[in-house]
Amino acid sequence: MRKWIGATAAMGMLALGGLAGPAAQAAEPSAPKVIRVGATQAMDSMNPFLAVRLVSSSIHRWMYGYLAVPDSKTLQPSPDLAESWTTSPDGLTWTFKIRSAKWSDGQPITAADAAWTFNKMITDDGAKTANGPAVENFASVTANGQDLTVKLKTPQASMLDNPVPIMPKHAWEKVGDIARYEANEYPAVTSGPYIAVEHKKDQYVKLKANPDYWRGAPKIDELQVIFYDNPAAAIVGLKKGDIDLIGRLAPPDFEALKGDENIVQWNTEGRRATYLQVNHGATTSDNKPIGDGHPALKDPKVRQALHYAIDKQKLVDQVQNGLAKPADGSIVPPMYKDFFWQAEGEKKVSFDVAKANKILDDAGYKKGADGIRTMPDGSRKLQFRFSIHTDAPIEEKLAEYLTGWFKELGITLTTKRLDSSKFTEETGTTALFDIAISGWSVNPDPEEVLATHLCSRRPTASGEGGGTESFYCDPQYEALYQQQLKELDRPKRADIIKKMEERLYTDAPVIALYYPNNLEGYRKDRIAKVTSIPEDKGMLYGGSGYWPFYTLEAVSKDGAAAEDDGSNTGVIVGIVAGVLILIGAGYFLTRRRKTVADDRE
Amino acid sequence: MSITWTRRRLAFGRFWASFRTQRAGVIGLAILLLAVLLAVIAPLFIDAGVTNVVSGTGEKLSPPSWDDPLGTDESGRSVLLMIWWGSRTSLLIGFLAALLSMVIGTVLGIAAGHFRGWIGAIVMRITDWFLVLPSLVTALVLAAILGGSTVTIIAAIGVTSWPSTARLIRAQTLAVEARPYIERSQALGGGHWHITTRHVLPNVAPLLLASTTLEVASAIVTESTLAFLGVSANKTSWGTMLRGSYDWGAATSGAWWYILVPGLCIVIVVMAFTLCGRALENVLNPRLRKAV
Repeated sequence: MRKWIGATAAMGMLALGGLAGPAAQAAEPSAPKVIRVGATQAMDSMNPFLAVRLVSSSIHRWMYGYLAVPDSKTLQPSPDLAESWTTSPDGLTWTFKIRSAKWSDGQPITAADAAWTFNKMITDDGAKTANGPAVENFASVTANGQDLTVKLKTPQASMLDNPVPIMPKHAWEKVGDIARYEANEYPAVTSGPYIAVEHKKDQYVKLKANPDYWRGAPKIDELQVIFYDNPAAAIVGLKKGDIDLIGRLAPPDFEALKGDENIVQWNTEGRRATYLQVNHGATTSDNKPIGDGHPALKDPKVRQALHYAIDKQKLVDQVQNGLAKPADGSIVPPMYKDFFWQAEGEKKVSFDVAKANKILDDAGYKKGADGIRTMPDGSRKLQFRFSIHTDAPIEEKLAEYLTGWFKELGITLTTKRLDSSKFTEETGTTALFDIAISGWSVNPDPEEVLATHLCSRRPTASGEGGGTESFYCDPQYEALYQQQLKELDRPKRADIIKKMEERLYTDAPVIALYYPNNLEGYRKDRIAKVTSIPEDKGMLYGGSGYWPFYTLEAVSKDGAAAEDDGSNTGVIVGIVAGVLILIGAGYFLTRRRKTVADDRE
Repeated sequence: MSITWTRRRLAFGRFWASFRTQRAGVIGLAILLLAVLLAVIAPLFIDAGVTNVVSGTGEKLSPPSWDDPLGTDESGRSVLLMIWWGSRTSLLIGFLAALLSMVIGTVLGIAAGHFRGWIGAIVMRITDWFLVLPSLVTALVLAAILGGSTVTIIAAIGVTSWPSTARLIRAQTLAVEARPYIERSQALGGGHWHITTRHVLPNVAPLLLASTTLEVASAIVTESTLAFLGVSANKTSWGTMLRGSYDWGAATSGAWWYILVPGLCIVIVVMAFTLCGRALENVLNPRLRKAV
């Protein structure tokens, strides 16, 4: 079988010899197809071991292969650099078959590259900055030819959602101190659809198409990412045509794009949940109280009352300009249909101030002469602080609404603005807050966001570690988490995860407010086609996986000229591309044809 | 007692007579009195509810009409009522911050002028240090660290704006202390406290009044700037309204009333303070009086 394909490939090569000459000449005069993407965040590091910003992980996603990527239709894990995998019955040993493909410098990709990447992260603390937790559960990683064996400490159902890009061992093992390496050597050695060729700090990154990419080269020649200081400048850039696409827009910026006939406003369900984090009696990982949270919030009834006093639909209309979905669920947004849970019937909390007041009355929180409620023992008034970020108009407006509603309950809410680092410290480590705004962009596998509410994520007494989103520590939730880790059957696991979301909804350590839409914009006079993820009304820049940027098609600049001899050139280009893919297939095809067929949709 | 009061009344009469000749100053004073009066009587007509988003029932960013003479903001609140209520915050912060800055500046200025030698040198070096600190940045940092409340904003503005007052007062103190009667007072056994409070302070007071009036104007502008940059006292002020108009795209959606009204209010009040302050300076500063 392989021989036959090899022969076809060889024939293709011969045919190409005849065609390529004129085709190349015909294609040469047309300008290179460049697409420019705007970002309101600059790259923090070109070194994937260090980069933590979203823009950086996106760019790295376009440059490097992963073990698996979310499928562009279902968002379920599908083969990437690992073309297939098997799990041992106890769920502790995973064996991945690494695809026979090439790095952009021509070296073969082997399991040794993947093993080096993971082992580097396990052994070198400096390499843990970006994705440290992803390898925490790894006992050992070994390579044998194209076979990668990962032994885990405990079963992990989210293994295929591993966020670590596989790095070329031959290019990276000579790096001395990985924690200080900025990886500013170009062209970069990559395995994904694009190769970084230039990076000017805080200005731009230029990426060239990888002609040897195993799925076939992208349809554009160059992808540039331009960094802007603020969204307003980026919006002007898009309108003027300095950039062709921008993602992650705030509602007012998105609305500013209205009325421009060349700009497509891309408004889809987002992958983020915005919620309130309630200090329900924060404790450290050794169960000692920490922080200065208001004692009333320890009472689930008070938290429930607060939940009833929030008009989520009004928040969506006023705060998000209607570009969001009110949250009747918990921390997993509805775009992940498999894992999304929604409250129904009795359990559903809907806006009802009278009911909220009744809950508080029944629980013994009596109103004083000034209309403010006090603790049942009269010790303290119900005066809460609401921590938000500085420079965040949306949070600011949200605070105004919450203050208004809580006032009707006899609860005073004062807004406390904090800069990012202080905010993270007070709401994540020292627990110096009552109620705080928070949110999380959920990955196709929700394990990480679920883990942020585990006992083990609480900080230590010395204020280290952590990553908790709520200081939550609930035996029922813990048990469910452990259960879903071991459950490798997807529907069954989804059911357990839904139970966890329900627990968070009813116990209310966090109160989900809304799921903001993913707002993006692109110029249709520049971008002819872009496939979102998931394909049916999904995300572009904000999505996970490289599909949108791999499938980008540019509008050809010289439209008229292309039409004259278009049919001919088009056919030739088509044939060349087809033959190239065939050659690629013939070359890369290993023992199992079936897997390859699965990959190339 | 009565002699002192008669003398003071006469002095005030002279001051008023010469202030009245400064037409711009009188106009400024009239505007100021009106603004302060409106701010003070506001609670008789409206309450903080006009700034509550929950009770904002109007349309979003609707243009001026009979119902909302100055239009509405992004949450359907009346811009006119917000301006009225917001003037309380803006003026209060302006006055108190200027007062704080005046107190710090006067104490340190007189101290530096009176205790010459190493104490004065140290105080002046501290003043110089504060003088070269970019005050807006310092105020931003201070307000961010202390958290947003009326008191912290006042403190942040007051603490960063006193050095120029201190320098001014020190110069005046030096001039006053060079006069022979100070020496006489010392010879008669007047201590530091007596000299600084009984002789120096009354003599620097007129200058202080003029400089403080100007200081209020700059404090109002600073408060608005801070609010625009996102550091506010959690209360509606003219600065936070400007901030809101910027945040919610008033310019792109053509809501001129939302930008122009708070902006003009700031301009008018600051202008009034400046006119008043300049007039006071003209009246009280002998050197300027000769020039007029």
